[in-house]
Amino acid sequence: MIGITKLGSYFPRRRLDRALIGKAWGGKASGTRTMAAIDEDALTMGVEAVSACIGETPAAGIDALYFGSTSAPYLEKQVASMVATAVDLPREIVTADFAGSVRAGLGALRAALDGVGAGSLHAALVVASDCRLAEPGGELEPQFGDAAAAALVSRHDVIAELVTAASVSEEFTYFWRTDEQRYVQVADARFGNQYSVQRDVPDAVGAALRKAELPASKVARLAVALPDPRAAAAVAKKAGCNPETQLVPLLTAEAGVLGSAEPLVLLSRALEGLQPGDFVVVAGYGEGADAFVFRATHALLAHPPRTVADALAGGIPVASYERYLRARGVLPLDVGGELVPTYIEWKELKQDTRLWGSRCTACGLVQYPQEVVCMGCHAPGKTVDHKLRREGTVFTFTIDNLAQVPEHPMPMVVVELDGGGRIYLQGTDCADGDIAVGKRVRLTYRRLHQAGGNRNYYWKVRPA
Amino acid sequence: MKDKVAVIGVGCTKFGERYDRGYEELICDAAFAAYEDAGIDPAAIEAAYFGTYMPGPHGGKSAVSLADALKLYGRPITRVENYCATGTDAFRNACITVASGVYDVVLVVGAEKLKDRGGRGLPRFGHPLLARGNSAPGLFALGANRYMHTFGCGRETLAKVAVKNHWNGARNDKAHLRQEITVEQVLKAPMIASPFGLFDCCPTTDGAAAAIVCRPELAKQWKKAPIWVKGAALAVETGRPFFDPTFDYLGFRSTVKAAKAAYDMAGCGPSDISFADVHDCFTWTEISNIEDLGFYEKGQGWKAVEAGETALGGRIPINTSGGLKSFGHPIGASGVRMIYECVTQLRGECGERQVKNARLGMAHNVGGPGAVACVVILGNG
Repeated sequence: MIGITKLGSYFPRRRLDRALIGKAWGGKASGTRTMAAIDEDALTMGVEAVSACIGETPAAGIDALYFGSTSAPYLEKQVASMVATAVDLPREIVTADFAGSVRAGLGALRAALDGVGAGSLHAALVVASDCRLAEPGGELEPQFGDAAAAALVSRHDVIAELVTAASVSEEFTYFWRTDEQRYVQVADARFGNQYSVQRDVPDAVGAALRKAELPASKVARLAVALPDPRAAAAVAKKAGCNPETQLVPLLTAEAGVLGSAEPLVLLSRALEGLQPGDFVVVAGYGEGADAFVFRATHALLAHPPRTVADALAGGIPVASYERYLRARGVLPLDVGGELVPTYIEWKELKQDTRLWGSRCTACGLVQYPQEVVCMGCHAPGKTVDHKLRREGTVFTFTIDNLAQVPEHPMPMVVVELDGGGRIYLQGTDCADGDIAVGKRVRLTYRRLHQAGGNRNYYWKVRPA
Repeated sequence: MKDKVAVIGVGCTKFGERYDRGYEELICDAAFAAYEDAGIDPAAIEAAYFGTYMPGPHGGKSAVSLADALKLYGRPITRVENYCATGTDAFRNACITVASGVYDVVLVVGAEKLKDRGGRGLPRFGHPLLARGNSAPGLFALGANRYMHTFGCGRETLAKVAVKNHWNGARNDKAHLRQEITVEQVLKAPMIASPFGLFDCCPTTDGAAAAIVCRPELAKQWKKAPIWVKGAALAVETGRPFFDPTFDYLGFRSTVKAAKAAYDMAGCGPSDISFADVHDCFTWTEISNIEDLGFYEKGQGWKAVEAGETALGGRIPINTSGGLKSFGHPIGASGVRMIYECVTQLRGECGERQVKNARLGMAHNVGGPGAVACVVILGNG
C-alpha cells in the first residue's frame, strides 16, 4: 500500500481583515485572509508545515524532500535543501524544488508517490507552500492567502492510500509572472475559467476516476483547488459530483486562495471524519490539472491529522493594511544587519540551522551554542554534539522597542528547552501576554533579516 | 595594592550632549582639570591608560587619541576597552603599573562621545544570528524581569531608584540630566524594553574624566591631600549569560567576585563602605548591584530602596553623583568619573551632596551584562 502517512497544515498567525483592503482601495471583499508575517516566506512556512506534519523530530527513513511553490524566496538556490536542513534531515536524501504554477505542490506529491511506488524512495516528504504577492489594489489582493502544507508519503501506516492519479497539461495564459514581474498577473478571469479551468480539472478528475473504475457518485469528498473559488461548484458538477454533498468547502472566507498549498490543505480537510474505505479525490488547476484518487484506511481513524480548523485557530488581527504592505516588502524597510559570511554559515550550519548544541560527558549539562569547555563544570574538551528540542519554557524575557528589528514591540526571550539547554531568541507572532516567565513556547524558523543582497534565516520563538 | 597607590588629582568635564566639544577637546578638558587639581606639570606624567569604548574620529582602535590630544608623546599609553568596565579597568591598570614600581606618576583618562554616533545608544557588535535583536536595555531587562518574578518587586520600586538618582544629579552641576522626577513620571514614560521605561534607562551621554595616580613616597608633594587606593579588582564572567543554563539571572557573578577580591585587598567588608557609586545603567541594575556588592542579601535590595536606605543620609548612600542614570554614561568615561566622585567625596568637596564622615568609597562598573565587573575601593586615611 502506497499513500499518505501523515499530513500537516500551517497557516501564518496573522489575519488581514479584507475590509482594511477595501478601505484602502474601495471594494467590498469580506472575511479575512491569512498573512505571512514580515519574517515569514514560503521557505519558513514550509518548515512549519513539516513540523505540523511529522513533529519536531523526523523519523528515520525519510529519503526525499520535495518543495513546491510559486513564491519561493530564491529563484536560484534550492529551497528543498534549506527546508531539509532546518528540520535536520540527513544529507543523504533526494531534494528538488517544484515551481511554475500552483500545481507545484501536486507535482511534488506525484513525484513522491511515483518514487515510493517505484521503490526508489522509502519515505518522501512533500512540502507545498505559497505566499503569493498580488498587486496592491488589484483584484487578486483580497483573494490570496498564505499557507503551507506537508505530506509524508510512504508504504507504512498509510492513512490515505493512493488509488489512481491522472493529469492533463495544456498551455494557457491565465496566471503568470515573468522573471521581471513582482506581482502575479491575471488574464480575463471569465475566459480563463471557462476555457481552461472548466476543461482541464474535470478532465483530470474524470481520467483518474475512470482509471479507478470509480463512479463519481461513489466519491465521498471532492477537494479541488482553484484560482477562482466561484468555479468550484461548476467543476464538481462537470466531474459528476454533487457540489452540495461531495465538494469540500474552500477556505476562501477565512484564509484565501492558498496557491500551491491549497490541494494538500483541502485533502487534509477532506479526510476529516472519513471512514476506512471512503474515496477522496483531490485535484488542482494550473495550466492543466492534476487529480488523485485516495482511499481512507483504518490508520486514519487511529492517526487523524490535526484538523484544518485547529490549524487555523488562534489568529491575531493585523492592525492595518500598511502593515501588510510592509510585511510583503511593498513598503520597503531597511533595518540594517550584517549577512552571515558564507564561511561562518558553513562552519556553524549544524549549530545555527540544524540546531545542535553540546552535552558535557563529565556533568551532563546540555548547552548552546556549541562549546569546547563546559559552561557548567568547566571540564575541558568533554563535550559532544547534542540535538536540541524545539519546545520549551520562558525563563525570562523583555519586550523591546529599541533593538534594530523590523517590528516593535519585539519580545526577546530566554528559553529553557525541554531536554536541556538554554537559548536566547527573538519572539514572533505574539499577542499581548503570550510571553511571560513560565509560558510555553516553540521554536520557529524565520527570516531574520536581509543584507548584502541575501537573507539570513534563523530560529525565533512563538507561543506554543 | 592597599595604600601602594595615591590619587593626587582628578578632573571631569560637564557630562551631556557635548556637541560643542570634540572628542579630543573633551580629553583635554578632563586632563587639564586633573593637572590643575594636582598642581602637576604634564611633563611629570610618565605613562597613561586610556579608557574608551568607541574610538574617536582620528584615533582608531589604539591609544593615540590620548597622545594626540595632550601631546603626551614618547611614553607608554595603553588603550583599555572592557565593555562598561572600561573606565574602572583603565584606572585599575594604572594602579597596577604604579604599585609594581615601574612608573611613578600615571595618568588615567576615560572619554566617550556617544552622541557623535547617532542618538540610539550603542552600536551592535557580535554574531550576525545568535542573540541578534538584543539592545542594552533589553539585555539588562532579562535580569529585571526574572528578579521581579522571583522576589515580587514592582516597577514602582525600580522607579524609586531613578527618582533618588535624579535628586542627587539635580544637585550636581556636572551631571547630564539635572531635573528631579517623580515615580509617576517614570511609570508613565514610554517603554524602552519592559520593564524599563525611558526614565529607567541612563541617557546617551558625552563626557570625559581623568585621574592621576602616583607612588606613596611622592604623594604628599601635590596641591591636595592624597586619596588612597585600597583595592581594585576585575572579574570576567560569561559574555553570553542568556545561554548559560546555570545562570539564575538574579544578579551578576562578576560583581560578586570582583567585590570579594577588592574587599580582600582592602581588608574590609561591605559594612565598612561609607558610600558607593555603582553601575545604575538601568534602575534594576542598581538594586542587583547593592546585593552583589554585599550591602544587602540577595532579594533584599529592593526593600532597602523602598526604605530610603540608599539615599543621601541613608544607611549606605548609593550614587550620590546622580549615577549613570542622571550623571550620564559615556561608556569609557563613566568608571573614571566614578573615581572622580569618590575622590571628591572623600576630600569633603561635594557640598550639598556631601556624605558625612566619609572614610571609604567604592566605584563599581558592570558590563556585558555581567560579563565584566570592576570594583575600586578608595579611602582618605
